Amino acid sequence: MTSRARATHPVPPLHATSELHACFAELQTKAGARAMAVSIIDLETGAEFHCHADRWFHAASTIKVAILLGVFGAIVRGDLLPQSRVHVRNRFLSAVDATPFRVQLDRDANRDVHREVGRTLRVSELADAMITTSSNLATNLLLDIVGLDAVQHTLDAFALEGIELRRGVEDEKAFEHDINNRVTARGLASLLRLIGEERAFNVSASRQMLAILSAQQFNAGIPAGLPRGARVAHKTGDISTVAHDAGLVYLPGRTPYVLVVLTEWDASTQGRSSTLAAASQLAYRALVGDRA
Amino acid sequence: MTQPVVASFGLRLVDGRRLDQPYRNALLPGEVLIDHVGQARLLPRYFYEIDSWAQARDTRLAPHFAVSEFIHTDVREAEPLRVFPRYIPCATALLAIALEQFRNEVGTHVFIGANGGYCSPRHTRLGGASPHSWGTAANIYRVGDTYLDNHEVIARYARIVAELLPTAWTRPLGPEDQWTDDHLHMDLGYVVSVPREAAGENHFAYPIALE
Repeated sequence: MTSRARATHPVPPLHATSELHACFAELQTKAGARAMAVSIIDLETGAEFHCHADRWFHAASTIKVAILLGVFGAIVRGDLLPQSRVHVRNRFLSAVDATPFRVQLDRDANRDVHREVGRTLRVSELADAMITTSSNLATNLLLDIVGLDAVQHTLDAFALEGIELRRGVEDEKAFEHDINNRVTARGLASLLRLIGEERAFNVSASRQMLAILSAQQFNAGIPAGLPRGARVAHKTGDISTVAHDAGLVYLPGRTPYVLVVLTEWDASTQGRSSTLAAASQLAYRALVGDRA
Repeated sequence: MTQPVVASFGLRLVDGRRLDQPYRNALLPGEVLIDHVGQARLLPRYFYEIDSWAQARDTRLAPHFAVSEFIHTDVREAEPLRVFPRYIPCATALLAIALEQFRNEVGTHVFIGANGGYCSPRHTRLGGASPHSWGTAANIYRVGDTYLDNHEVIARYARIVAELLPTAWTRPLGPEDQWTDDHLHMDLGYVVSVPREAAGENHFAYPIALE
């Protein structure tokens, strides 16, 4: 556990809902976040904790978990193979009026996919880039291939509420028209629970998604609030006014738990990652920490 | 069964109408396709057959253009044509000659994008007759180290095509449908090539005899 995230006060257990609410509220206030929502689902006991879990947030890159589910839906249906080739082309159509737009290289965390423009990459390579390094270009390419309606249909088929997929990423015109992907903490937690319990299509597909999520390279949020030996399958989301992390936490000798932390900020406020890490530490201690 | 005839440069020439049904369904050899303005176009009937990626890479249609550069498609291509054997219309060789001239003029490598060479009529990106299904169109996304991703660069190379190959067509620049803004599309039109080795048309279907 990071020294910065080390707690000084006892943390109430998961069932002490009011007290735990107060802990997260205090964290939000101290950090200066405009809003914070938390969902915790313990897959070992079935216990749940939700704090502002039905409040909608701009999804940022956490929507990529939903798109990952949609990609595997297409694979399970036989529409795609993991090794299917996809033309890497940086040209997409806005959800507003179908005018073309591009994913800007300097606004994309992954440059490798941009280097392949004109050539092809496998679906599996794009899925990996979309999650582990949050490639926006890979995300839009996969969404183009699978189709927004097909992804939404997959979400509906699993009765997943609290996730609204309305467009690809980096669609600035859609953003200006307030057409955005949105999530709630409860919605993302339900999706991660589905994957964590290996009920997303089948065991094999679920494990493949978990493997991709476990290879996440941005680990300053949930993982930074956990002791050594913890493994996290997760996806971050970060734009000017939101910072999120949503994942499954695997601890030695224990069934995993789902943790989703969504936060909203003034654009100038610092300390987002450390706040996500502190929320992760609170969740850990509420579940096992103070009694371990 | 296919009755192959050996073409002079090593690829087998095949009559698309004699291919197995899944390939006929994908290639639509000799059938009519409607373009985006409603004109009927007769698809090519004769194709070269490519057995492997190695053969595609090692077989040249022009000094600097291998067959592999014209068959790089993705998951949008018809399923039977995503694996070998693959097929290209015979007129692809004419496109390669035109591209060779273009390459000589610009003095550097010319890169054809994925889905930018031959695409079957079933390729889901086309949506109607396109010279890509005749093997006579190329989407050039890069010349040397320069990516053709803005109007100025695309227009510069389009002018070279216009001066060098006056009968070639380049797609207008712009964001609209049927226009382009991230590659140079050039094509020779709906050209059908029938090599000498081809069996020819069924004369009962075309009963006009020369005197």
